[in-house]
Amino acid sequence: MSGSVVQEKVAKLLSRQNGKPVLRPIKPLALKNEVASRSLKKGEATCVTEMSLVMACWKLNDFNNSVCSKEVSAFYTCVEKAQNKAKGKQGTQGRLLPKEANTLLKRFPNLSSEI
Amino acid sequence: MAASVRHLLKPWTPSLCLMRWSRYNPYYLDPDPSKDARVPESELSPEEKELQELKTVSPIKAALSSDTSSAFNDPLISKFINMMMHDGNKILARGIMTQTLETIKRKQVEKYHKSPAAKREEIECNPYTVFHQALENCKPIIGLASVQKGGKSYQVPVPLTDNRRRFLAMKWLITECRDNKHRRTHMYEKLSQELLAAFTNEGNVVKRKHDLHKMAEANRAYAHYRWW
Repeated sequence: MSGSVVQEKVAKLLSRQNGKPVLRPIKPLALKNEVASRSLKKGEATCVTEMSLVMACWKLNDFNNSVCSKEVSAFYTCVEKAQNKAKGKQGTQGRLLPKEANTLLKRFPNLSSEI
Repeated sequence: MAASVRHLLKPWTPSLCLMRWSRYNPYYLDPDPSKDARVPESELSPEEKELQELKTVSPIKAALSSDTSSAFNDPLISKFINMMMHDGNKILARGIMTQTLETIKRKQVEKYHKSPAAKREEIECNPYTVFHQALENCKPIIGLASVQKGGKSYQVPVPLTDNRRRFLAMKWLITECRDNKHRRTHMYEKLSQELLAAFTNEGNVVKRKHDLHKMAEANRAYAHYRWW
């Protein structure tokens, strides 16, 4: 069992038998019932090209929206697609999201003290 | 002593009244109060058929007391009335809205009768369509968001959701009518003027929308600072 191997290693790191101990912990060496919530990927600005088209049309036609209706509708479709993508692409690729992991850990925590 | 006797003489009203709780589980559906909007089964696409089946099975939220099944129930106008309401005085806000719609109708009908026969067809007399079109003309397309990068905060052009755009249009209309009017003009008068101006893409609210667009256009270099 790898559990006991880990415990022996930790005991060796804390022991004062071979000179000074390697670890001098302030808090107890136990895992928290929480995962750090951070997203791995850095996002990028969506629909920038459509936006630049709309702005170019505006500059030509003095911000008249009825003349630029094609570009504006293209911009709206792009925004909708981006929103749908952002909603759907969250919980895939085999890994639990930090939020989901935290809810599960709250319901089934590692008990560090007797209740 | 008089106060306690007065308390005994008042009719008893409950001190708490039941309100619809606004936090529901996400699978709860919104109620649909319209009676006659049922389309026969053959005309529905498969997605709409799925939606109808969902409605028979899943739970539905409690209806608000402002939702009616009448033909005059307009969700956009209800939202506008709620935004105009102050201190919970819905009666006053609704009265102002009905007066506004009446004034719009009167002005348009007057214009209709004064104009020559050739131009009569272009004049829109239905106050509801005037309201909807004016609101559409006031909605901004791109908004600005404040993004901090490298210690400085930049105004970045950002696409807005439909709800946010509708909210901004209504907010601008209401603030414009509250602030920039003579103290003797009534709210409904000023609102009808602004709505008719917005209907033809004139007036201060549409100017404010154009100012926002100009700012967004000026800051288009910062568009890549967005990460969503």
